[in-house]
Amino acid sequence: MKRMSWASLLLACCVFLLSACAGGGNVNQKAKGDFSAGMVTDTGGLNDESFNQITYAGLKRAQKELGIDIKALESKRDEDYVPNLTKFARENRDMIWGVGFKIEKAIADVANQFPNAQFGIVDSDMGGKIPKNVTAVTFKEEEGSFLMGMIAALSTKTGKVGFIGGISSPLIKKFEVGYRAGVHAANPKVKVQVAYAESFNDATKGRSLAKAMYDGGADIIYHAAGGVGKGLFDEVKTREKGKYWAIGVDMDQSRLAPDHTLSSMVKRVDVAVFNVMKAQQQKKHKAGKLLQFGLKENGVDYASTTTKHVKPDVLKRVDEFKQRVVNKELIVPATEADLKQFMQS
Amino acid sequence: MKVLSRINSQSTFITSLLSILLGMLIGAIMMVVAGYDPIAAYNALFVSALVQPYDLGETLRTITPLILTGLAVALAFRTGLFNIGVEGQFIVGQLVAIIVGLKLNLPPVLHAVVAVIAGGLAGAVWGLVPGLLKATRGVHEVIISIMMNFIALYLSNALVFHWMSNGADSTPKIMDSASLRIDAVSQMFGGARLHFGLILAILAAFVMYVLVWRTRLGYELRAVGHNPLAAEYAGMSVKRNIILSMMFSGTFAGLAGAGEALGTSGYLAIQPAFTGIGFDGIAVALLGASTPLGVVLASVLFGILTYGGGNMQFEAGVPFEVIRVVFAAIILFVAANVTGRLLGKFSRNKGGDKRA
Amino acid sequence: MLDTLTNILSTTVIYATPLILAGMGGLYSERSGVVNIGLEGLMTIGAFTAVVSTLTTGSPWLGLLFAVLAGVLLALPHAVASITFKADQVVSGVAINFLALGLSVYLVKHLYDGAGQTPVVENKLNAIAIPFLSDIPVIGPSLFKALPTTYIAILVVLISYYLLTRTTFGMRLRAVGEHPHAAETAGVSVVKMRYVAVLISGALAALGGAGLSIAIGSEFNQGTVAGQGFIALAALIFGKWRPFGVLGAATFFGFAVALTLTGQLFNVTKYVPSEVLSMLPYVLTILALAGFVGRAEAPAAVGKPYEKGSR
Repeated sequence: MKRMSWASLLLACCVFLLSACAGGGNVNQKAKGDFSAGMVTDTGGLNDESFNQITYAGLKRAQKELGIDIKALESKRDEDYVPNLTKFARENRDMIWGVGFKIEKAIADVANQFPNAQFGIVDSDMGGKIPKNVTAVTFKEEEGSFLMGMIAALSTKTGKVGFIGGISSPLIKKFEVGYRAGVHAANPKVKVQVAYAESFNDATKGRSLAKAMYDGGADIIYHAAGGVGKGLFDEVKTREKGKYWAIGVDMDQSRLAPDHTLSSMVKRVDVAVFNVMKAQQQKKHKAGKLLQFGLKENGVDYASTTTKHVKPDVLKRVDEFKQRVVNKELIVPATEADLKQFMQS
Repeated sequence: MKVLSRINSQSTFITSLLSILLGMLIGAIMMVVAGYDPIAAYNALFVSALVQPYDLGETLRTITPLILTGLAVALAFRTGLFNIGVEGQFIVGQLVAIIVGLKLNLPPVLHAVVAVIAGGLAGAVWGLVPGLLKATRGVHEVIISIMMNFIALYLSNALVFHWMSNGADSTPKIMDSASLRIDAVSQMFGGARLHFGLILAILAAFVMYVLVWRTRLGYELRAVGHNPLAAEYAGMSVKRNIILSMMFSGTFAGLAGAGEALGTSGYLAIQPAFTGIGFDGIAVALLGASTPLGVVLASVLFGILTYGGGNMQFEAGVPFEVIRVVFAAIILFVAANVTGRLLGKFSRNKGGDKRA
Repeated sequence: MLDTLTNILSTTVIYATPLILAGMGGLYSERSGVVNIGLEGLMTIGAFTAVVSTLTTGSPWLGLLFAVLAGVLLALPHAVASITFKADQVVSGVAINFLALGLSVYLVKHLYDGAGQTPVVENKLNAIAIPFLSDIPVIGPSLFKALPTTYIAILVVLISYYLLTRTTFGMRLRAVGEHPHAAETAGVSVVKMRYVAVLISGALAALGGAGLSIAIGSEFNQGTVAGQGFIALAALIFGKWRPFGVLGAATFFGFAVALTLTGQLFNVTKYVPSEVLSMLPYVLTILALAGFVGRAEAPAAVGKPYEKGSR
């Protein structure tokens, strides 16, 4: 043991020395440009084909149209959120985005530590306690999912549709509840099967669940399950065209199965972050509050490719309801309790 | 599984150092092939891990749980057990520490102490299951540990979602009285989240040394690991030692979880996948030759590479994953004593290692 | 009712297939005396290579082939380290896991412009129905209208059973894993046998991984394998290092997962949260092991580097 330990000890010293030699580099340099933004992803990473990627698209648009300097940092683990946010804060970036509800506590901490920096969080209302220098952005996923529910209920031939969720959480619950409400509003006789994979990346589980649902009589399945949802598309592709359908989420997922994708619920995080930064650049933005993006704000919607497979009369009905939601004549439920009430009235 | 002490038994200072440098060279080659600048990347890695006080603090924070999970794996190795369940024991350690931190109302210090102990105990219980089944039913500890990992993950998620947060994605923050954060020290390091867990980890390394090499019990643990039949013949209870070893190992892992929960984050969130800290512990233990000091030093290396690796992407655009390849290469080189062979040093001692 | 049964059965088959293949891979290695913790990594590299080569060549069968080659290639350092250099086998297996995940995700990011996952494979392996047999109720649609990898997995089990119990090769392989010195005395090259076994191990585990990425799924990301290599390792031990044991253990596990998934469709979640339901396969495995299976004897020489002339 002795010999080895000494070896390692010396070794560690060398590592330190090496790093000391390497030191003195470029720390704390001020970001270029008159407005700069940073973005910290959650553990999904930058190209997750979901909210991280859409947020980054918004930043890139801002870079192009508003000429701002952008940079992104990926988080490998939950513990990385705080240091990543801190890095941007020390660079004095004008707007620092944290993407995903998992970052909310880290944002609260870092925002408190850097009261002069501006932060934004996507997909979280911070539990109602939004610090003065934080802008919280959430989406009314239930409204978008409501439209998906309507499309499913009006398009089903079997009278049975499905929903596959990722890990049980309030966010995913919003998708489920909105979807069920939409189905109910369009045709209360249509049955909805609901299952949670308790994972966001096990595509095998997604495929098995989809298979079980299709075999059990459902012909349209909507998912809010990240990578698990890929399994849904894998399954539907093997089935008869025009008979079995999948509905995508977050981005337009029709490219995953062009002939089997009925619609996708798109979440325009890009629009939201772009608008916030534009207002900031023009000094018209007020932080410390919650911005909610629903159908009215074009924050959620059905994908443009929806017209390809959904019948015009179905889409007409859907648009009618969409207008009612926009006009606030119809409130879409977001929780199980609200849904119960919704179904009774 | 045989005790893993032979890894470094042949290596001298030169060979270990060369292994690490060779590992980094492999990483550099991968970067060059893919068109990145390895010098800029490594520069970014070390600068960002060590130069600023904040980063130094965060690097120490990254090292902390690695020491404990590394010790957990190392201790089980000493008894000839492969505790692949450190990940699960880490998770329940986190879970129970947070439960205590949230639900019990105790005065400061005492609260933290109780929460840490509870986390360690939870890890012990999680380690007890595979230990008990191995001892009494002869079921391989690896398979039960793997199952226990998954159970821990789902259990933690279920409790966070249904019980500890009223249906939210993460629990509220623990009470300040249960926090392991030391504000004065944090301030010194520019607000880094380094916490009392580091002292706990170093203490644990010392405890392991005393326990394994300075007590009768430790002698038995090692004897069982070295040759269970001989140990049994000498009147030791193999079963008892297997159970104890898994429990001690689980305790270390549980403490790692408690430290992370009470010191670093202060809350628990729904986890989509394993944290990986437990699995990293395996690598740390192997690289550290299952000795306390070795584990601490290997954790330092892993911690620097892990924390600095994130910045490599930021500064030099190199994907973080190259660091995992560097880890793998270092482990392989050390394990196979590649550098020793390259240097023509064949100081091989036959028939395994005497020190166990 | 019958539909439900069919459903459960086909999910079982889908889930069990990669586990059987990887488990059989582990079996060759461990029966020859080399522990293979690296199954997870070998599956990962297989899953990755299958997708990339299918995307490049357009043929999923070539994808499978390249995956197998990649598996062999990655198993090589494990073999060299643990057999030739007599490194600890667990250590080198763990290194393989690190290496595979790091390398594959690094390459995905490099090849696909920083993306976290590969593009989707259009031309993937689809289910093949066996005439007549697939018309049998319940087992027909699940067993005889399965993915190609499922048939391959069953073939592998049958062939391996034959190889291990009825041929000289199998006898030698087992001898090397049980009594290497006796085998060497009898003229069997321990080193050569172990190399062959570890490389076969890499090939089969990679095949299992490829099944995940181009038969069941259609892309690769860092979550594609997500611990299935470790479950396969568990299935190997559960199956007591025997081909049909592995088949049974993997099927048992697949069945448990199928139960939890199908259970959700029957509103079981009204009474049990779905997270708790998700624990079921793991709890069942533990109960089965503790209650019925019990003691498992590993090959005697497993984990021990072979030193000529020493004991």
